[in-house]
Amino acid sequence: MLAGLALAGFVLVLLGLLRLQVVQHDELQRLAEQNRIRLDVLRAPRGAIRDRLGRLLADNQPSFDVVFRPMPAESITRARTVVRSDWIQRVAALVEDDTLGVRRRVAEANRTGQTAVLRRNAPYAVMAAVEEMRPDLPGIDVAVAPIRRYPEGTMAAQLLGYAGEINDQELDQRQAAGYRMGDLIGKTGVERKYEEVLRGQDGAEFVVVNAMGKRVSTLREGPPRLPVAGHDVTLTLDLDVQRAMDQAMAGIERGGAVAIDPRDGSILAMVSKPAFDPNEFSRGISFARWQELSAAGGNPLLNRAIQSAYPPGSTFKVVTMLTGLRYGVVRPESHEPVACSGGYVFGGRRFACWDKRGHGSIDLLTALQFSCDVYFYQLGLAVGLDHLQSTARALGLGERTGIDLPAETRGLVPDDAYYDRHFKSGHWPRGVLLNLGIGQGELLASPLQLALMAAVVGNGGHPIRPHVVRSIQGVPEYHVDKPLEPGVETDPGIWDAVHEAMRRVVEAGTATSVRLPGLAVAGKTGTAQNPHGKDHALFICYAPADHPTIAIAMVAENSGHGGSVCAPLVAQVLRRVFMGDTLSAAPHGARPDSLAADTTGADVD
Amino acid sequence: MPYLDWPLALATLGLIGIGLLTVYSATSVPGAHQGLWMRQLAWCAIAFGAAWVVAAFHYRLFDTLAWPLYGVSLLLLVAVLAIGTTKLGAKRWIELGPLQFQPSEIAKIATTFVLARFFDHARLNLDRVRFWLPPLFIAMVPFALVAKEPDLGTGLSFPVMLVAMYFWAGMPPGRLLLGLSPVFNVALFFVTGTIWWFVGLFVALLAFARPRLSLLLVMLALNGAVAYELPHLWNHLHDYQKRRIETFINPDNDPYGAGYQIIQSKIAIGSGGVMGKGYLKGSQKALAFLPMRHTDFIYSVVGEELGFLGALIVVLLYGVVIVRGYRLAAVARDGFAGLMVVGVVTALFFTILVNMLMTVGWAPVTGVPLPFLSYGGTALVVNCLQIGLLQNVALRRREY
Repeated sequence: MLAGLALAGFVLVLLGLLRLQVVQHDELQRLAEQNRIRLDVLRAPRGAIRDRLGRLLADNQPSFDVVFRPMPAESITRARTVVRSDWIQRVAALVEDDTLGVRRRVAEANRTGQTAVLRRNAPYAVMAAVEEMRPDLPGIDVAVAPIRRYPEGTMAAQLLGYAGEINDQELDQRQAAGYRMGDLIGKTGVERKYEEVLRGQDGAEFVVVNAMGKRVSTLREGPPRLPVAGHDVTLTLDLDVQRAMDQAMAGIERGGAVAIDPRDGSILAMVSKPAFDPNEFSRGISFARWQELSAAGGNPLLNRAIQSAYPPGSTFKVVTMLTGLRYGVVRPESHEPVACSGGYVFGGRRFACWDKRGHGSIDLLTALQFSCDVYFYQLGLAVGLDHLQSTARALGLGERTGIDLPAETRGLVPDDAYYDRHFKSGHWPRGVLLNLGIGQGELLASPLQLALMAAVVGNGGHPIRPHVVRSIQGVPEYHVDKPLEPGVETDPGIWDAVHEAMRRVVEAGTATSVRLPGLAVAGKTGTAQNPHGKDHALFICYAPADHPTIAIAMVAENSGHGGSVCAPLVAQVLRRVFMGDTLSAAPHGARPDSLAADTTGADVD
Repeated sequence: MPYLDWPLALATLGLIGIGLLTVYSATSVPGAHQGLWMRQLAWCAIAFGAAWVVAAFHYRLFDTLAWPLYGVSLLLLVAVLAIGTTKLGAKRWIELGPLQFQPSEIAKIATTFVLARFFDHARLNLDRVRFWLPPLFIAMVPFALVAKEPDLGTGLSFPVMLVAMYFWAGMPPGRLLLGLSPVFNVALFFVTGTIWWFVGLFVALLAFARPRLSLLLVMLALNGAVAYELPHLWNHLHDYQKRRIETFINPDNDPYGAGYQIIQSKIAIGSGGVMGKGYLKGSQKALAFLPMRHTDFIYSVVGEELGFLGALIVVLLYGVVIVRGYRLAAVARDGFAGLMVVGVVTALFFTILVNMLMTVGWAPVTGVPLPFLSYGGTALVVNCLQIGLLQNVALRRREY
């Protein structure tokens, strides 16, 4: 019985052979002689990316490519005698590539029967030269294909990412998913994260060509497969907020900022400086330019808003305050045992307050308002590591936020296990708590994590999931994943105290430059000590203070105090968002140093 | 050696000879692969040696070592996913210095041993769950690992082998077909787009198998669940998810990779006609229109140069190998030997069939080489090992 089944299988093979070799012999013989068949790829347009109001952030435009089309069989033999031996050199010179690259692509094209792109988006001069020399260079042709266009240029460049030609390594990994040489693929940002959705599916048709490689007809067998366009993606981004933040930060050399909606986690804006123009990549980028971008110039490809982690500095005092209140260690009106005289002695060492004159004996609200280090040294010691780190994590620090963008950093919130690894187990000095209490020491957070923290504090402890995609065309039930951070559930009175203290920071504390007429803002400044150079400036806030619709975190590397550098820039963003202000004084943003002079109130941490 | 199965041995030698000649022809065009036939010749020597060694030990040794061998091969399959070399988008190879091998080939043989060992003990009692259920797991674990590489073409030989061995172990064909009915259910749904074809088939199957009430109810529930959920699940998927599944089932489904290969293969075979263009005279092959002509698509070169007659001779030789193989199962001395032979021959047959149907355009391109003919050292060694196992049983068939 098994043998019988096997014989039936072999009979099937013989039938297949007979069909080809007897029934279809004449037709296939003819095809074999003239051969012949070329495969033309019908490119699927990649899905567009828009902001929340449908304003375009990425779409496609035609590019004129210099291509090599594999030649029909008999003309290869003929061509070998006709083509001048310097074909490769001349083609390489024409497309401004090395001979090795051209040879490799041509070989691949001959092996697979596919057209190889030798020069993407060639400038007019190159196209003209190709047209002129084409009779001399069999196989070389001009083709039109879509490439990516980013109409807003550098705006939100790191968030959008870019799509470029697939490289060898990606090709190797993703060949099973149907990728081919010359395909566009999302490399970073939304373009990468949503590659599957945006990509669409290329079609193809087999065409019969004559000896000169000219198309004669389509092949009867195997009808063309039509391309399927990729899905359009709508982001949560608001181009107005993005533009306001972009322009406010025009003078910042390096840094990152995030604006998030505290009600649902929608990312409204994301800036990382320095920026790059993704259009450069879709046009095809030279190796020298690539190196310039990736190494020198502060690595603009890095999305500092989510990939860089900074010490949160005094912005973390909000966490210390919340911890103290929620675990009953302090009350809003509590004074710490030691009044601030400009410093605090612990374990035989003196820990300074940023204000050498000292703050005197003050309560918790006032301590946050003026960011008194001495108060928070003592509070840090009192709350202990366990409570402090669990509150920080509940607000989204120390773990990935789960944003739908690649390569997010976790930041760092040290816990017992961490210190056990770094000191002798169980023997780490309690002095670390002093530093943690004011946000220094080992703590690290990305601007995104800081914005999330501000948002969760602002909305009264409700966890939210930061996300950049709002909807996907053709996916009706698209929904955002559950938040990863647990949030903080506690007595409303405690939240009132935290909110009031952050209000006072802006009203009459360290960030009075954010005091805006008709808009209540709650915030906290920060300065992160940087062992490698000038301090980093930080500012977090949410507004309107009673029912926040936006939370912002901004970090400016190596630029000094948060209150003097970042707060005025955030004020510009808020003015623009809530009052339609057009930044008349500084169309390209303001330089931070010039702003420092204008700042009223304490230009301090 | 009076008890050697001579027709089997000669047919194998004939196939290897044709393979060497065809590899020589396919790689005779100036290019990167020129001269590969010499390496293949060297591999032949190793393969014969390996077959000899395997035939020399008594097959009861493999019975004893079945589980350890199976364990090692599973470890290798996990290792290939972790450290394997990626070629054409799939992780199938482990590199050992200059050598490369596919653990899936080794797993095929080890799984055969374990299944044969298990069925040998369980064959009288296949009614009971604890005897018919474990083989399913034994075969499905390596299947899942190989399919994940992804290499569905090779992976499918595990379930196919399993079905043949269930049959040989005494499972009534009706019950076997009934057990397979969810597979038919899914397949028919995708081919025809409705469930009614399957309903008809299922009723006929019931009439044929006449199962006990408990089995009837289980299969009814199972198929009902499949029939109800499948369209739901499918329609619920997004386009790109469906595409991903399609790509998994048929990795080279895109028209401008495999589609091109299939068309070129059909042109090569078809233009060969009945008599062929003559040895070394194939034009499609020479002009490099036929990709992978010395490996997966070597049968197309046979078809082009030697025509239908040459291709027929190859099919006949394979027929001798397979039919003699199954006959050996019937004359084997004990249960283990018979079951092992059925497993080995079925795996071999499945690979041959999938490759040949692919070259004539009737099966998807899955990257499965043609046993004994395709260029490739480790595949040749493993195929000769399989023949060595068959000869092992043949040599001892008169033993008392």
